[in-house]
Amino acid sequence: MNSYIIEKKDMNILLDRFLEDYKVFGPTRPGADSTFDEITSIKQLHLDYTSTVLPPKKFFHPPKETLFSFELKNDKFTTKESIQDEKILILGIHPCDVHAILKLDKFFSADFNDTYYQNRRKNTVLVAINCVEPSEHSFCSSMGTGPYLDEGYDILLTDIGTKYLVEIGSKTGQKLVEGVNLRKATETDFHEKERRLKLMEKKIKKFMNTTWLPRIVRENLDHEVWLDLGEHGGVDGSFPCLSCGSCSLVCPTCYCYDVYDTTDLSLMSGTRNRELDSCQLLEYGEVALGGNFRRDRKDRIRHWMLCKFGAAAGGKNSSCVGCGRCIRVCPSKIDLTEVAKVIRGGKQR
Amino acid sequence: MNEYSPNLAVIKKIRKETHDTNTYTLEFSDKKLQKSFSPAPGQFMMLSLFGIGESAISLSGTSNNGSVTTTIRNVGSVTNAVLRLKEGDFIGMRGPYGNGWPLERAEGKNVLIVVGGMGIVPLRGVVNYIKNNRKKFGDLEIIYGARTPDDMLFRYEFEKWKQIKNTRLDLTVDELPIETTSKCKIGLVTSCFPSMKTHHKNAIVLVCGPEIMMRYAAKCLETIGFKDRQIYLSLERRMKCGIGKCGHCQIGLKYVCKDGPVFNYADIKPFIHPL
Repeated sequence: MNSYIIEKKDMNILLDRFLEDYKVFGPTRPGADSTFDEITSIKQLHLDYTSTVLPPKKFFHPPKETLFSFELKNDKFTTKESIQDEKILILGIHPCDVHAILKLDKFFSADFNDTYYQNRRKNTVLVAINCVEPSEHSFCSSMGTGPYLDEGYDILLTDIGTKYLVEIGSKTGQKLVEGVNLRKATETDFHEKERRLKLMEKKIKKFMNTTWLPRIVRENLDHEVWLDLGEHGGVDGSFPCLSCGSCSLVCPTCYCYDVYDTTDLSLMSGTRNRELDSCQLLEYGEVALGGNFRRDRKDRIRHWMLCKFGAAAGGKNSSCVGCGRCIRVCPSKIDLTEVAKVIRGGKQR
Repeated sequence: MNEYSPNLAVIKKIRKETHDTNTYTLEFSDKKLQKSFSPAPGQFMMLSLFGIGESAISLSGTSNNGSVTTTIRNVGSVTNAVLRLKEGDFIGMRGPYGNGWPLERAEGKNVLIVVGGMGIVPLRGVVNYIKNNRKKFGDLEIIYGARTPDDMLFRYEFEKWKQIKNTRLDLTVDELPIETTSKCKIGLVTSCFPSMKTHHKNAIVLVCGPEIMMRYAAKCLETIGFKDRQIYLSLERRMKCGIGKCGHCQIGLKYVCKDGPVFNYADIKPFIHPL
């Protein structure tokens, strides 16, 4: 595929081109933290961010969405699906988040198709950007999901000083840059990219050894670390888990959702909705007559960890991509790379 | 096709089983859908009532004209609302989902069915299947435990079941009311194992009931010589989608909705034991 060069000061030309066809979302910095929000002018865009609070999962698998509405008419129910077909472009998405989306793509098309997710995904263009500055919690290099990207993008940007290297990954991407006057990339530009990415890799300070990890955690279902996480704390200075579910909320691969109905006051119509759920919440494993398969906190945190280590039912499609968001938001300072170390027996608490 | 949108079904018949349980005969409103609908014993449906919610419900049988029966106990908001419905009312239905009982693997073997409470529902289809294909299977033995004789489901079919060739039905309850005329034993299902006729040689065991009952039943069977591979359990979990997307029913590396609800005991033993 083709590669081009664009000066950083000319990014507004590219953005204007994107805005012609798509609603553009990108990293903005409304406060101390970055977040993906709608971009209408180049001033809002902060491509030099480290990590956003919420992952771009929110565009495909929104925190809350309506599946269909229903209405009672002449003693008969009619349903109407709510289909989302707005074309959007996500600008400046990091390699770890792109990998998370690729995982969710596989997850939501396995065995049964999830129309809602797939519809949104189909109408999305991904303009990714390679990382040049890791957040203090990132460990993407251990997970093979960063800091640079080889697949899954339509357009890939790399910061090489005063310019961006623009690599095209799909026909849609090619079409998007065709109208813009861009210089072809030279070999020197690629050397500069490689140099910067190598430099970037050295800046990552967090690691997780993933060799045989799913197997190892599965063999350690009664390891004492689970009780420590859930009840005692003390896994590398952590406090007991509060079961708040923040980790699931910010995780780019957590897919679990709850389904519920709402009705309007007339009781003649309503909607069926879904909302992100978390295995950390008590109600998650609850069944009829008060049974609960994960009543203890240690069971719930264990399940989440197993899922992120790739040892739960989601397998690789819901495993960790190393973005570090859960570590950042955890009020109890639980760090899954430390948990992995303890289970591997490499570290005593 | 959107997997999440339920199809309308009409309640053809309601039969009262106990004070809080009814059996419903359901038919899709869409005749074409009805014709192509053939669930296997042990599969389940997602039943939904608009405005109340959706719930995973086992099927208790199929009939020749394609209608299905399902038996529902009032235990939550959806089932509570279902119990207020009348014949001719509409209900949302999608499915069938899940794998069902391993009937092909059971062929030529003696079949032991161990059920507790509502666990009889997904196995009624198996009993009827064996009745209709009697030559394909060896001896049939059913051990059924309930809280009281009045809580037993399908009581009107017990006589018919006993008349199936080479079949033994063993009933046990937790408590017997004083004025009862019932001849049930008192005790857990596992207390019926000593007088059981089925030998572990060339046998297959199908178990369904509360998880604690299945756990102990499987363990007891192990001690009397049954191999883990011979035992199949049907599990209960919270389910929101039925198609392996909502995550609630995970057990180990499996989804109960998609990979189950019937599992081989050997495969899920580590996950149902310590929990």
